[in-house]
Amino acid sequence: MFAYIMRRIGTLGVILLGSSFLLYNLAAISGDPIGELKISQDPRAKQQIIALTRELQLNIPPPFRYFLWLRGVLGIFVGKLDLGSTRTGESVGTAILSAIPTTLRLVFTASILAMVLGISVGIVTALRQYSKFDYSMTFVSFLLFSLPIFWVAVLLKQFMAIQFNNWLDKPTISLGALVIIGVVIGLIVASIAGGARRKSYSIFSAVALSTMVVLWILQKINWFLEPGFGPIFFFIASIGIAFGVTQLSVGINNKSALRSSITMAVVGLVFYYPTKWAFKLSNQTLVLLAMAALTLLSAVLVSLFFAKIDKIAIIRTSILTGIFMGLIRLLDQLMSTWPRFISTDAINYRPVPTVGQANSLLEPGDYWVTTLDLLMHLILPTVALTAISFAGYIRFARGTMLEVLNQDYIRTARAKGLSERTVIMRHAFRNTLIPLSTIIVVDFAGIIGGAIITEKVFGWKGMGTLFNMAINSFDLNLLMGVFFLTGTLSLMANLVADLLYSALDPRIRTGSGA
Amino acid sequence: MNENNSVEGDSAEISLIERETQGLSQSQIVRKRFFRHRGAMVSIFVLTSIIGLVYSALDAKYFGVRIPGWWKYSIEDLPELTLGQCKDGLVGCPTLSVVPNFLGGNGVHLGDHPFGQDDIGRDYLALVMRGAQRSLMVTFIIGAIAGVIGTVVGAISGFYRGWIDAILMRFTDFIITVPTIIIGSVIGFHFGNLGVAFLAFYLGLFGWTGLSRLVRGEFLTLREREFVDAARVAGATNRRIIFKHILPNAVGIIIVSVTLLMSGAILLETALSYLGFGVVAPDVSLGSLISQYQESFTTRPWLFWYPGLFIIVIALSINFIGDGLRDAFDPRQRRRLTRKDRDRAKLGSKTGVQK
Amino acid sequence: MKKNRGAKVALAVLAVAGLALGTLSPANAATRSTVVIVDSNTFTSLNPSQPDHNLVLNGNVAYLSSMGFAYYNNKVDYVRNTAFGTYKITKRTASEFKVKYTVNKGVKWSDGTPITGVDLLLSHILSSNDYSIAAGLGDPASDTLQSFDSLGYNGAYNELIKDVSIASDRMSVVLTYKKFFPDWELYGPGPSPVHTLMALANGEKKLGTYPHNVALKSKFLTAYQSKDTATLKKIAKVWSDAYDITTVDSKTNPLLLVGNGPYLVSSIVKDQTVTMKLNPNYNSGPATSGIETVVFKTIPDSTAAAQALANKEVDVYEAIATADSVAALNKIGSAVNVDGFAISSYEHVEVRSGSAQGVKDKYTGPFAGYSQQAKDLRTAFLLAYPRQEIIDKIVKPVNPKAVVMNSLQYFPGETAYKKMVADSGAEKFTEGTQAQRTAAALALVKKYYPNAGTTGVKIKMLWGQPSNPRRAAEAALVKAEEAKAGFDVDITPTQGWSAFLEDNKYDVQFYAWSKTAVTQSGNYGSYKSTESQTGYENATVDEIVSSLETDVLTPAQIYAKYVAVEKILIADAVSIPIFQWPGVVAYNSDLKGMDPAPLSPTVLWNVWDWHF
Repeated sequence: MFAYIMRRIGTLGVILLGSSFLLYNLAAISGDPIGELKISQDPRAKQQIIALTRELQLNIPPPFRYFLWLRGVLGIFVGKLDLGSTRTGESVGTAILSAIPTTLRLVFTASILAMVLGISVGIVTALRQYSKFDYSMTFVSFLLFSLPIFWVAVLLKQFMAIQFNNWLDKPTISLGALVIIGVVIGLIVASIAGGARRKSYSIFSAVALSTMVVLWILQKINWFLEPGFGPIFFFIASIGIAFGVTQLSVGINNKSALRSSITMAVVGLVFYYPTKWAFKLSNQTLVLLAMAALTLLSAVLVSLFFAKIDKIAIIRTSILTGIFMGLIRLLDQLMSTWPRFISTDAINYRPVPTVGQANSLLEPGDYWVTTLDLLMHLILPTVALTAISFAGYIRFARGTMLEVLNQDYIRTARAKGLSERTVIMRHAFRNTLIPLSTIIVVDFAGIIGGAIITEKVFGWKGMGTLFNMAINSFDLNLLMGVFFLTGTLSLMANLVADLLYSALDPRIRTGSGA
Repeated sequence: MNENNSVEGDSAEISLIERETQGLSQSQIVRKRFFRHRGAMVSIFVLTSIIGLVYSALDAKYFGVRIPGWWKYSIEDLPELTLGQCKDGLVGCPTLSVVPNFLGGNGVHLGDHPFGQDDIGRDYLALVMRGAQRSLMVTFIIGAIAGVIGTVVGAISGFYRGWIDAILMRFTDFIITVPTIIIGSVIGFHFGNLGVAFLAFYLGLFGWTGLSRLVRGEFLTLREREFVDAARVAGATNRRIIFKHILPNAVGIIIVSVTLLMSGAILLETALSYLGFGVVAPDVSLGSLISQYQESFTTRPWLFWYPGLFIIVIALSINFIGDGLRDAFDPRQRRRLTRKDRDRAKLGSKTGVQK
Repeated sequence: MKKNRGAKVALAVLAVAGLALGTLSPANAATRSTVVIVDSNTFTSLNPSQPDHNLVLNGNVAYLSSMGFAYYNNKVDYVRNTAFGTYKITKRTASEFKVKYTVNKGVKWSDGTPITGVDLLLSHILSSNDYSIAAGLGDPASDTLQSFDSLGYNGAYNELIKDVSIASDRMSVVLTYKKFFPDWELYGPGPSPVHTLMALANGEKKLGTYPHNVALKSKFLTAYQSKDTATLKKIAKVWSDAYDITTVDSKTNPLLLVGNGPYLVSSIVKDQTVTMKLNPNYNSGPATSGIETVVFKTIPDSTAAAQALANKEVDVYEAIATADSVAALNKIGSAVNVDGFAISSYEHVEVRSGSAQGVKDKYTGPFAGYSQQAKDLRTAFLLAYPRQEIIDKIVKPVNPKAVVMNSLQYFPGETAYKKMVADSGAEKFTEGTQAQRTAAALALVKKYYPNAGTTGVKIKMLWGQPSNPRRAAEAALVKAEEAKAGFDVDITPTQGWSAFLEDNKYDVQFYAWSKTAVTQSGNYGSYKSTESQTGYENATVDEIVSSLETDVLTPAQIYAKYVAVEKILIADAVSIPIFQWPGVVAYNSDLKGMDPAPLSPTVLWNVWDWHF
């Protein structure tokens, strides 16, 4: 195996060498780096042409110039990687290093969301093949998939930012809007829940009505300007989480798991006010780490107290409950920051931004305000990216799940008399993840390449923007720098995917012989 | 819940389905299943209507014979900009009206420029028709080229493994690393604009890598299965094993990704146009129209919505057709039985009229 | 059961409301003092005088952080900034021309150090090849990089400057040129905080004390006068490298941020925003009117910028003027003002008549040469060029007052414009209706190509970028109209089009010229045979333009020469202008004092007048 990996990495180097040479020469002849300056009437343009010709070494033919570039790159082996400099004299390495975090921030959340949502929806549609839910999800996902991102961006900005902010000026919901929202949410929930017609109707009316009532109350108590859960609702949510996680993880019949999950919820409630105090301390990173550690610790302790058999599964359940509760608690904290956040001068009651990565006018210092600002800037691009990319996952997850459900081992599992939950979660779901995992690895490498258009319309400067800039201004070094990173990463990801595939699916003999 | 029903009713259903497919050949079963997929059938109808509508709209020349189209304008005509019915001082708004008089509308009529006009007066229906022609062409060329190359490369390397696999997969890696936009801009800079077909062609040449990896993975799994061994023992040639035994089993995943690839192709072309590397003036595609007029979104929305609508409808139909094909080809796929089926089955078993 | 849950939720929510802590402070409408301006570029350097960094945003930041002796206003006058200092001609003979620049007493850098004549000397180092060579800083005319990576070398200043001397009170400098030259005002010196350059060269990390700074200034003067190569090279390194920063925060060396303009950089978030704060020691120019903070926010996408404006994230956006963008901005409502203004940039068409100098192959297309046939064909092409239609359909939606432009030098609306059009004979291309002109053009073409009515003369047109819808629309209009005049125009666009301006493949090209300064030679420089990209050669034009570039002329003489050039260009039918580009600025309607200028930095020029 080790020899195989080493050989693969070796060939990977050779491929990179070949394709970088090809790309360098192609890119060098794809345009004239000083073309723009030729039509400039600025008397100083000549000086600029001379300077650029010198700095970009344009007098050396590209095939030879490539080796100068390569020398810099090979410096990686002596710890001195030099990717050259851009047209504006910035080091390409620096440019890329500052773009990567931006890209990751932008694309990481969206990809994770798209994967989680896509895979879970895909699996549900497979379980309910040809149901109304299946058809409507298929339709919606294809619809979203067919939308150009810049279009989605324009719509999102118009409705989720500009109009929402305008609305927030005087946050009241008219009766008509209340009814429409209620009906829409009711329809969605009813279609997911499925079931017989009568049951659908009752679910629909219950959900629609309660949505309306809740929204009405929320606006009455000015919740949209001063949102928050408070300890009571936090506790109710925690209990809900405890039941839900237990059901999915080990089944609601497992009494010790249920007990430990509920105990977690009680622990959460007890710690509600102490955490409120802790969130005001100075070093929040440390506080958050400590809280995470405490949550894990208490989950383990609580489970050990209740568990008699099958300890691992119960610990897992409690930990999951703890994680979700933690997330809710963080959300609550962010909500309680909201009034402080929107009343700052920099935000001025318009919290949802349409563009940029952060509000630079915000006074630094308040950890939660800054965090909220970052999150608000993430919302629109994340929604846009998630919307257009999760359709693919739905399709693959649905297809794979359907295939798995027809396998003999599923039939065997059912014949053994295992509960449907066990069959789906333990047998079908896990096997569905095998082919999906390899797709995910490759996709992850792809996202480092950035989302050119998304970055452009949301004014982020990540890898996509660098690539676009490099192409449009014929910035060869920058282009090659981006290539060097994305090319290497995608090859590595393919290698990992191959290894993963053979590791996860024992039936496959990968080619250590290859 | 449904799952519980299906467990208890399993054997009855199986026999029901077996009865349904009794005495039918593989292709007949596939066809039968496909025709029963409602989404796919509607989509086939929609897609063929669109193709027919779009390709017959404008004057065309085939082998020197000029065939007149049903629409009076071409994309080069420059009729006067209409100012008439538009509100807010806008120009070139659509004359299409679908609300009948008795409902308080303007009556159902096309008018002179049903989809409106662009800045310089060109008829937007003609532009959208030409755009749709181009986008369909891009879609099918990319789908065909990438589909064939991806499947063949993936199938061969997955089946033969060893050094063939190593070489093909390293070649795939090589292609993955080369950004298509660069190739496009090199060609654009040196040879000028070579047209839409060429664009689609080279995008197809670079777009198969994901598919080939997928197919390879599928082949790697399938070739270890019992039925392949059985076929081999029975003396089947490699060719036969690949095409008759493994491929039909892998066809589901191939079709899903090819249809995603095809509808992705429309969007890829849109994205390229937005960045200035796709279909360029004077030719148009749905993608170039929509990116050209993205600023019109709030002011002259029709310039944005009509091409957008066509993109969505085409992409949706392709995907639904793919969905239907996938389900039809899946050899173990069972149709979920409707209540009507069950009632019929009960009725049939009681009265014996079934068959 | 379900309904019960609804009730429970409602109860819970009420409980939460009861428990919610902290009350909301009422929205107090504090007077705003921050302006956020959209820029499509990213910031790369605090020093835009380097070839690599001569970018719009860098220039704008520099404009706000430094004030010199003069600036352009919105009437394209070169206004003297008397708050900073004065300048006057002290001697003007045939062999010598002297200008004295005096800095006012009391004007200060932002660190409190007085500005003196010593601060004006760096300009000379940055522009004179002779000084650079003499001081051992390298020859800017050669291919190797000189010490100061400056854009200023090799220009008119360099050719004519003889000496720069500083007065004994150190408050003024005298520039001695070889002779008078027309555009001398544009080449005056600008102030640079030389004490901070010296401090940075010494590796200092914080602002110096007053005596320290004065001492550093004297040291710089000594180095300048004695051409101390070692010291100057250290300064050159600082000047060329240290200012190229893309992030500014509390860790940034404050010496880099010293200036004398109304606003100084206080923080920069890489690729996102540049925040500038009011300079507390500002007294070098017109007084500011209440804006405390100016932020440049980078938004490359035009739709995104318009939406950010609608969402009140930004206050000022100079839009790309298209019908849709203007309509969309207007639609935002009363919160945003949308003003059109003229910018110094015009679309024009050039017809090739030969090969540009240095191009090896020979142009042999239908327009080649200066025979009657070539002239007639070029004339026919320009006659049929649908300029009015282009303006009606493409420019008028943005600027309803737009008209066809008929002079290469004057914009419609300028005083001399009408007279120039009458004198130059440009009316030839506007007489009658377009249909009549096109018919006349067809007749001309048919003289040489009798079949032109059916199979048109093949013409290839260069334009770009392919993704620019406005240019694409222009090309389509041209193709349609020229077809009626017997030309079959190939309008396939070209990726990277500007690289092909000298390419003989193309018979015609249209694009925009933009002015950056007002000079005596006007816009005719590019029609000299040494400069023309379309291979235009005319000895008389060469002669007149050279004279405009160097001779001392009266306004009447200058005008006569302009007319002479335009007459020849029109007779030879090599180029006609089409329209002046409209500029559009959209801004928060609470912001007052906005009055954009045609020349760069357009909207920013009077930032000191802005207020809420």
